[in-house]
Amino acid sequence: MSTNSLPQPVTVTIDGTPGQAWAGQSVTAALVTAGIWPLRRNPVNGQLRGPFCGMGVCLECEVTINGRPGSRSCTAHVTDGMDIRTHTEPLPTAAHG
Amino acid sequence: MADVVTESEADVAVIGGGPAGLHAALVLARGGLSVVLLDESDTLGGQYYKRRAEQLTAAFGDFRPRGTELIRQVRESGVDCRTGTLVWGAEDDGHTLFTSDVHTGALGQVRTRATLAATGAYERTLPFPGWTLPGVVTPGFALHLATMDRVPVGKRVVLAGTGPFLLPVACALLEAGAGIEALVELNHPYRPGVSSIGGALRQPARLAEAARYLLTLARHGVRVEQGARVVAAHGDTQVTAVDIAGADGGVRRVETDALCVGFGFRPSTELPRLLGCRTEPDPTGTEQLPVVDADGATSVDGLYVAGDCAGIAGVHAAGVRGQLAAHAILRRLAPERAPVRVAGLRRRARALDRFAELADRLYPLPALADLADTTQVCRCEGVTAGEIRQAVATGWNDLHGTKAATRAGMGPCQGRECGHIVAALAARGSGPDREPECLAAREPECFAARMPLRPLPMATTVEAAEAVEGREVADR
Repeated sequence: MSTNSLPQPVTVTIDGTPGQAWAGQSVTAALVTAGIWPLRRNPVNGQLRGPFCGMGVCLECEVTINGRPGSRSCTAHVTDGMDIRTHTEPLPTAAHG
Repeated sequence: MADVVTESEADVAVIGGGPAGLHAALVLARGGLSVVLLDESDTLGGQYYKRRAEQLTAAFGDFRPRGTELIRQVRESGVDCRTGTLVWGAEDDGHTLFTSDVHTGALGQVRTRATLAATGAYERTLPFPGWTLPGVVTPGFALHLATMDRVPVGKRVVLAGTGPFLLPVACALLEAGAGIEALVELNHPYRPGVSSIGGALRQPARLAEAARYLLTLARHGVRVEQGARVVAAHGDTQVTAVDIAGADGGVRRVETDALCVGFGFRPSTELPRLLGCRTEPDPTGTEQLPVVDADGATSVDGLYVAGDCAGIAGVHAAGVRGQLAAHAILRRLAPERAPVRVAGLRRRARALDRFAELADRLYPLPALADLADTTQVCRCEGVTAGEIRQAVATGWNDLHGTKAATRAGMGPCQGRECGHIVAALAARGSGPDREPECLAAREPECFAARMPLRPLPMATTVEAAEAVEGREVADR
């Protein structure tokens, strides 16, 4: 099936660490490739959450992309130089942490 | 603020650019009507004819060339394709649609003479202990990663749930380089009995498809474990192991780095329900579907539905139903045109519907009786089954009261992940004569559809509310 060479990788920065991905891949794919599954905390109970539905329904995969918080990583596509930030630090007032 | 809303008009709006919407838009445009095709995604195709990014297509090939060809035809036919456009509301029997640009938040309004909802479906999930752990995903997500992004979801994947969809997902995972630790099917569909053969023989192509998948799996040494299910997922910051209950009742622990679990699909009926169209229970008794005639016309004049949002029947049925709805709309809006014979399409639609009913029989949904009180049902608001049962027992014995009392279904997914479960728990009532908990009901309930149908950024929401109110004031 793959007759041509692999796509040219581009550079993305995940939580300050530079890495590589293919332009046009979903941002979630770049995160999964980097081995990063927990992306955020549930605001009610502080549990770690990661991508779940992969089609923009559950909103569990929201990260900050190029400074824009609340971006769904499953429906966003990688571009060169993209800055991706996860939010897994414990909630400041997590009662159930 | 109403002046920031971009207004436009078309004879027909088609909502959803998947197989049903694409086939419908093509027939409508070729029939001489002006058509606007709206899709939340940045590319046309929906879930089935999903497009690989340009660079990935160049390297790995076209994922589904038939979809590429269909999309090309739609674009050439003059359909106004608006991707990245979310339809978050509608009024006036669907003759007015409220939209927002998913990237800029810019609001729009589309006025139409007829509207076709082809909004598809999403995966049905069922809660179990640990299902909110990172690394627990839907099979559809794993398929997307494997096919669109060429990324294996894990090295040691467990795939579980029920439905024919698990087979192509398993094959795609293998092709993407994932290892499959276990493939766990709740039911026993792969030893067809007398009742299933009759239906399957009428759709030999579908049967051959399933056989091909099973052969591929066998070649890779992957066995479909039937009558088994995942009862718990374990891990600290992400899933590391799952407990699988086998057909013999024994439970074993399997180490894994990704669990994909799904139980078929749920129709995305929010838009027709928002517009108040009459509904009826689907054949499985778990969803309310719009009541339609043979061509997809709903009880709301000028509103049509096609594809999986009119009942789960798959890609082939979606294409046929989309064409049928388009011909019906043509007869309505362009009566001077010579009518096209649709008897053949209707026959094909009925045959495909029968095949879908067969799938419903082969892959029934489990009972909910053993859903533990401590298990989270509503992921967004962190509401457990026990909290919902308690609310039901204290008198909130309907869905909407239960939602208000527990906040279940009030989070950002708007109950799309948990609504069917909350409804099933709430519908059983309380007391000694309460019915056993199961997903199927004579009159399945669902959360009311409300605007905005999908979450909008706060700034956009304020503008949207003002735009809708402004219209209401002007209409009075």
